[in-house]
Amino acid sequence: MTTMECNDHLALIPGYLDGELSEAQAAPLRRHLLDCRGCRTAAQGQRALSRWFEAELPVAVPPGFAAHVARRAFAGDTGDGRSPGASAQPAAARGEILQFVLHATAAAAVILIVVAGWLRGVDLPAGSDLRADDAPPASLEQVLGELDRLDGLDRAERVPAVPAPVAPVAPVAPAREVRER
Amino acid sequence: MESPALEDAHLVAETLAGNQVSFQLLVERYQERLFALARHYTRSAVEVEDIVQDSFLKAFKRLDTFDHRSSFYTWLYRIAVNTILDALKRKGRSPVQAVEDPEVVGRPGPVQGVAPDAGLEREEISRVTHEALEHLPEIFRTVLVLREFEGLAYQQIADTLGISIGTVESRLFRARARFKDKLLALYPEFSGE
Repeated sequence: MTTMECNDHLALIPGYLDGELSEAQAAPLRRHLLDCRGCRTAAQGQRALSRWFEAELPVAVPPGFAAHVARRAFAGDTGDGRSPGASAQPAAARGEILQFVLHATAAAAVILIVVAGWLRGVDLPAGSDLRADDAPPASLEQVLGELDRLDGLDRAERVPAVPAPVAPVAPVAPAREVRER
Repeated sequence: MESPALEDAHLVAETLAGNQVSFQLLVERYQERLFALARHYTRSAVEVEDIVQDSFLKAFKRLDTFDHRSSFYTWLYRIAVNTILDALKRKGRSPVQAVEDPEVVGRPGPVQGVAPDAGLEREEISRVTHEALEHLPEIFRTVLVLREFEGLAYQQIADTLGISIGTVESRLFRARARFKDKLLALYPEFSGE
């Protein structure tokens, strides 16, 4: 039979089983449980429920997990803004790449506009007779004559020099010359 | 030999000084516990790994805010639980699926016992338990997981979830009642009556 005293003790049973009561609270409850069959049954029942949580299976941590996480942490990965799942990381990476491309394109456009504006302000030579050299325009005859001259120079460089004919060597008679003197 | 807390403090300091190996040691020290924690919320191994990885990365990012008032483990757990709840929200699962407000509704009667049959294999018990847990609102599941699987004290649960000890106590009481009801709804044969 549940009494007022039993209700007070029943409220303490979970904390008692969890080891959360002080000795001053636990001691009277223990005495009550010895005397009260109903509360003792309730305590046994609550203790039995915890047996469902005792069958924990061993955990399998992937090999190299800690080293991998440490590497990522020191590489600047913060673990924020990424939902669990295999496809989350590539999606995030794709988003970052797209953002980078957009920013780079915008920066290039700004640079082009600035350069175009600057070029408009620069004092550049203008006119219809712009030439690459300062020489006055030549006539056709002058141009052909100049080409002939250059051809002549070119041929002269290409023709090898003819060696001079070698004179026949006269016989040497030094001894006789010495005797005639 | 240093105590675990001192070792944690040393590893945290070394990590903040730029030592990658020290952070790797911190991850190795707590990775199994976080995998076990995340596994209570999703059956997908990929999601579990993502959640644990994100938890450690967030912890690394905020490591300079760790003030050593709580243990590193409690601090890390808080980050992990928040990461899990954020992930569930992104998946469209509300942290509170119950129509009632668990903090307002009065307590149910004492939770009567429903023990697993002696003949059940360990894997079978684990499967049944997780199936029942999946049907609980997240706020109930979280306190049950932290208390029953992780063995956290009421104060640690309160610190982790940012709630009072009284709220932990009432939430836990209701979570156990809900768990038992769901268990019997799914598997009436365990009622033993």
